[in-house]
Amino acid sequence: MIPFLRKRMISSAIPLFCVVLGVFFLARMTGNPVDLYLPLSATAEQRAEFSAAQGFDLSIPAQLWNYLVDAAHLDFGTSLRTGQPATEMVLDAFPVTLQLAGVTMLLAITGALLVGSLAAYRPNSLVDRIASLLSMTAASIPDFWFAIMGVLVFGVSLGWLPTSGTLGGPEIWVLPVATLLIRPFGVLVQVVRGSMVTALSAPYVKIARSKGATPRRVIFGHALRNAVTPVLTVAGDLAVGLVNGAVIVETIFGWPGIGKLMIDSILQRDFAVLQAAVLLTAVTIFALNILVDVCHALTDPRVRLAVPA
Amino acid sequence: MPREEPTTADTTAGAGADTTTVGTTAADTRDTTAAGAPDTTAADTAADTGADTPAGAASSPHRANWWRMLGRDRAAAVAAVVLSLVVLVALFGRLVIGDRAQRQDLDSSLRPPSLGDGVYGLFGTDVLGRSVLARLIDAAATTLSVAVPAVLCSLLIGSALGLWAGYHGGRRESLAMRVADVILSFPSLLIAVVVLYVFSPSALNLVLILAVARIPVYLRTARAEAAELRSRLFVDAARTFGTPSRSIIYRHILPIALPTLLTVAALDFCFVMLTESSLSFLGIGIQPPDVSWGLMVAQGRQYLQTAWWITVLPGLAIVFTTVSATVLAAWVRMATDPAQRWRLTLPTKRRGASAAVPPELIP
Amino acid sequence: MKSPVSSPPPGRRRPRPTTALLLAGAVLVSSGCAVANSAGGDAGQADGRTLRVVLTQEPPTLEPCEASLTSTGVVVRSNITEPLVERDPDSGELHPLLATGWKQTGPRTWTFDTRDGVTFQNGEPFTAKDAAFSIDRAVNSDLACNVEGYVFGDDDLKVKAVGDNRLTVTTPEPDPILPLRLSFVEIVPRSTSTEAKVRVPIGTGPYAVRSWQAGTAISLSRYDDYWGKAPAFPRARYVWRSDASVRAAMIDKDEAEIAVALDSMEAEKDTTASYPNNETTALRLDGREAPLDDLRVRRAIDLAVDRQGIIDALLGGLAEPAGQLVPPGVVGHSDAIEPTRQNVAEARALVKEAEADGVPTDRTITLVARNGMFSGVSETAEALQYQMKEIGLSVRVRMADTATQLQYQLRPLPKNVGPIALLIMHGNQAGDAAFTASQYLLSDGPQSTFGTGELDRRIADAGLLSGRKRQDAFADLLADQNDTVVQYTHIAHMTGLLGLSPSIRYEPNSATGDEMRLAEVGPAEGAKD
Repeated sequence: MIPFLRKRMISSAIPLFCVVLGVFFLARMTGNPVDLYLPLSATAEQRAEFSAAQGFDLSIPAQLWNYLVDAAHLDFGTSLRTGQPATEMVLDAFPVTLQLAGVTMLLAITGALLVGSLAAYRPNSLVDRIASLLSMTAASIPDFWFAIMGVLVFGVSLGWLPTSGTLGGPEIWVLPVATLLIRPFGVLVQVVRGSMVTALSAPYVKIARSKGATPRRVIFGHALRNAVTPVLTVAGDLAVGLVNGAVIVETIFGWPGIGKLMIDSILQRDFAVLQAAVLLTAVTIFALNILVDVCHALTDPRVRLAVPA
Repeated sequence: MPREEPTTADTTAGAGADTTTVGTTAADTRDTTAAGAPDTTAADTAADTGADTPAGAASSPHRANWWRMLGRDRAAAVAAVVLSLVVLVALFGRLVIGDRAQRQDLDSSLRPPSLGDGVYGLFGTDVLGRSVLARLIDAAATTLSVAVPAVLCSLLIGSALGLWAGYHGGRRESLAMRVADVILSFPSLLIAVVVLYVFSPSALNLVLILAVARIPVYLRTARAEAAELRSRLFVDAARTFGTPSRSIIYRHILPIALPTLLTVAALDFCFVMLTESSLSFLGIGIQPPDVSWGLMVAQGRQYLQTAWWITVLPGLAIVFTTVSATVLAAWVRMATDPAQRWRLTLPTKRRGASAAVPPELIP
Repeated sequence: MKSPVSSPPPGRRRPRPTTALLLAGAVLVSSGCAVANSAGGDAGQADGRTLRVVLTQEPPTLEPCEASLTSTGVVVRSNITEPLVERDPDSGELHPLLATGWKQTGPRTWTFDTRDGVTFQNGEPFTAKDAAFSIDRAVNSDLACNVEGYVFGDDDLKVKAVGDNRLTVTTPEPDPILPLRLSFVEIVPRSTSTEAKVRVPIGTGPYAVRSWQAGTAISLSRYDDYWGKAPAFPRARYVWRSDASVRAAMIDKDEAEIAVALDSMEAEKDTTASYPNNETTALRLDGREAPLDDLRVRRAIDLAVDRQGIIDALLGGLAEPAGQLVPPGVVGHSDAIEPTRQNVAEARALVKEAEADGVPTDRTITLVARNGMFSGVSETAEALQYQMKEIGLSVRVRMADTATQLQYQLRPLPKNVGPIALLIMHGNQAGDAAFTASQYLLSDGPQSTFGTGELDRRIADAGLLSGRKRQDAFADLLADQNDTVVQYTHIAHMTGLLGLSPSIRYEPNSATGDEMRLAEVGPAEGAKD
């Protein structure tokens, strides 16, 4: 396991460096933020002064060098917008998104395992058809639309849930998580169903079923473990995709997460924050990929030996 | 822990180990996961004859049979009808409606759907007094003209790279995988925001962004398929006879990997349409006066309480189209898989399961 | 999972993935709840004591010298810090605040008397030295304060405290509206840093900052030693939601007492109050590029726009058609200017005429607008595009973000982008047309594309006048731009929409969007206290 992890981490280093470079150039492409931060009537000297203070007057290679040296010290500079250290802002926002994504993925996986298994137990039954149709529909609903519908229906009309925000009890989580959840859940139900159908038709499960084992025992005792591998792969990729969903959810519900921070820092040309945020997200995504591989190794011993290139 | 330890955790009908006859394999391992490439024997036959020969129990797949198979599967038939309708509307709709989708009339803003206002009033009007029906039709063309090229581009580039990497292995494989890692670790919505704000948010840029963002999906799927197939007997045989690797990939590996890749592509439709919609929500998707379903949903969201039809109808269009694509993709997948086609010849009730989504599919 | 490796040896125990997942999940959920609960102590139930305000975005900072930024000013101004002089948004008159009186004591010098018995929220007494310090800090320092650029330009002021209660301010040029300019300078104690901007200020206002949970909420509490009348609510809390329908929902759900910037479809609700917000929308036509360099084409565009139609369908029917850049109530607004009425036939004829003279009327004009400029902006852009197309011009829309739109709005203007029709929204917070003219009408104004020497001269002259003459001079030159320059196709004097809970009483005024005085908010009559 340890050599496996070490190899995986080393192989992540180069792509990670590419991300560091990529975000730098991506940010520079958006232009000098001087107009946004200086008053409309600022003079040419004020503009030049501002550019010099932020280091935007240096040549691109010089800026890149400074950025790389600072990034190596985990110093991403100060936010233009708020004047706070970028690293601090990103680290403040990160747990919010992590929790949101964590809870979402957890519910999506457990929910999908239950619904998908139920659907797969009797293929083409009524339950199966309803589950398939619902999951396909869920996967194709625009998330912002679902979110606003949720606010209007459950927040205002029925009054069951708070409309938005992070201040409050557990009920505050329901709408954001539900919005983030629908798509991964819809896709995962279909994946679970597919691999469960395969697993349930394996000979040893058939034997168990013919011996009269309860459905619960058949599904959770026998079939599930074999079905879980593809589910893990897809779940890992869906989790990566949650960053996109987080942008929308955090924007609508006013959650101070990293998705909102990234979109704001692009719109405000706040390069320092953008660079720190993208890098942290990238590291997390790499870590997640490694975690998925480790989970594969744990659930499927054949993988343990075969380390991917 | 259960006492009955599974004797094989292998859902993939491993390389040449299973020596059961084709018929029983197909019937027993209801192999619906894409990881389960067709069983070896079937695969070998398929590869040799262009992946379209019957595998034992199945009936002979003439072109006409495809229609019959489609007719037997009610869900797939409906999906096919819906999709063809969408494509027809996208191709010819604009000829019928003319400039109706653009024609504004501020005096008839937000008319609810009614039968009294002629065909174009059927679905009501939007806030600028334009016919929602005409806009739905116009939007079908724009939506498809973004989604189809985006999906095709990523499918072509991603699959080519993935098959090449998976077949050769070694350094080339790691290189391709690292490229995929890099693309995946940039949140795609953010790249889109940067590029579309900096360069103008034209439809072409939109297509490029969506295509690049989805390349890793096909790359990884194709690589996995090719990596598994490269050690198969028929590939080895071809190599021994000195077939150049490009034609091995093209003639032996691609036909087997194609159904899976196509399924992924069908489902990516959904992703592309939804991402385009999210971009419209952020204000940088399709630009007016062009209109797409995603843009309609995004613009209409503020009228949810007062004029539901503006946002609900295009939303339904997205849902119907993507669900149809998903259902049809699952069907095509089964129909092109020699180990599974037999299912489609059974009456619906008795048919086993069709996995709507292959496991390696990434949304 | 695809590696061709043989099955596991039987009997070997493997960890159960489901158990591990559940365990990981339990940890996540509990830590998540912990976060929610830690914030829950400040949860916003309607307790009648906390005034809850929902804004569109989090203020980037509360630095008082950035208070001319709307998102900062709406929280800071007159709530946390106060200026020497305040402008009455309705009458336009100046009222004493931290200064008790002022007069011009020289051609370039003004003298201000400061108020006694005022203390800062940190306990320090307020003196003329603090006032001088604050003006120096905002206008003359290297902090690059937004206020400096917004109201003072490059000129440095000479500020001197003469005694504890009096200070003098000297300008390089005679400035008849210096007190108005100084109403933008918020007063801070001398202990405030001059090296760096502060995020959380100390002031003399009725509320002090209690806490700022980054990204979540800003809480204020009543300052008990406030020199003026104590506000009705002991606490106030700001949150922010960028989606207007969510803000409206928070009023409906009684999660907030005040919600700013609602969409126009909320206009008919009982809980929505509308107010003229001093903003004026217009299309700025770049007169340097064909076909917009032709006066007839610019006039045709002016005639093409259906102002009332746009207002009724897209702006909730609340705005007023505009014929000039400044709304009523601003010094210089001309009552004589009538908004242009739509006349498609005449507009078409003008375009035809220009075309016959060789003006390339088929060259595509880019209509640039900013996302989120006002509710319904993209629909408005589409309507304008359609109406311009109807008179025979070729127009495409480009929706931009703030930074991109600023490149089009500010000098140096972008090159090689073709003819641009820029949708602008101009807010004259100061109440004097001089601020508008120097920015938007001067031929080399920072937000103007072209002009005439004649207009420039009239602007310079008008700026030196005061009283009735000033009013007339600016009114005349605004009419003149409509006749001879036609750089602007004015659309509407806008209306702001505020969501107000039935439990409170508040009269929004034209300054509400920039400076929302919480002290003016009280519980509704008959509502429980």
